[in-house]
Amino acid sequence: MKYKKKYGWLILLAIVIIAGLYAYREYNRKPADLSTVDSQIKISADGLVIKFEKDEQKANLLYLGKPIEVTGLIAEINNQQDTLVTIALGKKEDMHKVSCLLDANHTNEIKRYKVGDNIMLRGICNGYLLDVELNRCVIIK
Amino acid sequence: MKRIVGILFILFYCVQNLPAQKKYICKEVRISFYSKAPLEDIESHNTKALSAFDASTGQIEFSVLIKGFEFEKAKMQEHFNEDYIESDKFPKAVFVGTIKNPGDLKLDKDGVYKVQVSGSLTLHGITKPENTEAAFTVKGREVSAVADFAVAVSDFNIKIPSLVADKVSKTVRIVINVPSYQSH
Repeated sequence: MKYKKKYGWLILLAIVIIAGLYAYREYNRKPADLSTVDSQIKISADGLVIKFEKDEQKANLLYLGKPIEVTGLIAEINNQQDTLVTIALGKKEDMHKVSCLLDANHTNEIKRYKVGDNIMLRGICNGYLLDVELNRCVIIK
Repeated sequence: MKRIVGILFILFYCVQNLPAQKKYICKEVRISFYSKAPLEDIESHNTKALSAFDASTGQIEFSVLIKGFEFEKAKMQEHFNEDYIESDKFPKAVFVGTIKNPGDLKLDKDGVYKVQVSGSLTLHGITKPENTEAAFTVKGREVSAVADFAVAVSDFNIKIPSLVADKVSKTVRIVINVPSYQSH
């Protein structure tokens, strides 16, 4: 009888410890790196801008908060001390572009690219201001 | 006669190019908010807010996408977006206002200028009047601005469950930093 009770307590203790560790990990979890996430939505930069220009509410329903793979020409690269890197996709004269803020852990990847290059990025759609805004972006190719 | 016309033409041209006539824009406005509570300090940053400012009328506007606010912890970001601010329903926060003393702001002369900005803030679908002091810094051709003010969370119908009341403060400090206004 005593034997079984001891095991009972140990199992309970193990469960409590595992639950505690899980809660601790979950509490400290950082936002997922998008290079490990797949995106169902693949669209051209021009196509994405047109969707938001035509009907912002509808576009928000489709894209807001979701990971999107967007392809386009680099119109501009804004690199602030390698910590804040923004890539604008579209043609230089376009009024609205797709503005992609690179994930802080992936800012070095832009060094291989220049204005005019074709690029594919994956980022989370934040919505539409002057441009369609994506953040936590990673370069796919 | 020709000379007078010539001088008038030059004067007209100069007036058109005075800084006071210009419109300014910045697409990299940094907005941060801070909440200090007994159990937890929360801070979040957005580096892609938009601001437009008309030097001749004193009109100033800010727009920010809520989903662009980044947090250290994913759980905090999820709670913020899903439960508190409901960013799927209300993706933007907007401030529209005017500088009450635009004459005090001398954009063609280097210096730091304190101004009063008065307007309305729309957050979580609710619009409330908001006034704050802001400081513009002019250095050569560079115009930058900062503002630091507090907002009461309940004013905007943001409900903090009593269970986490010790983790989120009732007033949140907001810091706005416009690194550089570009003439538009």
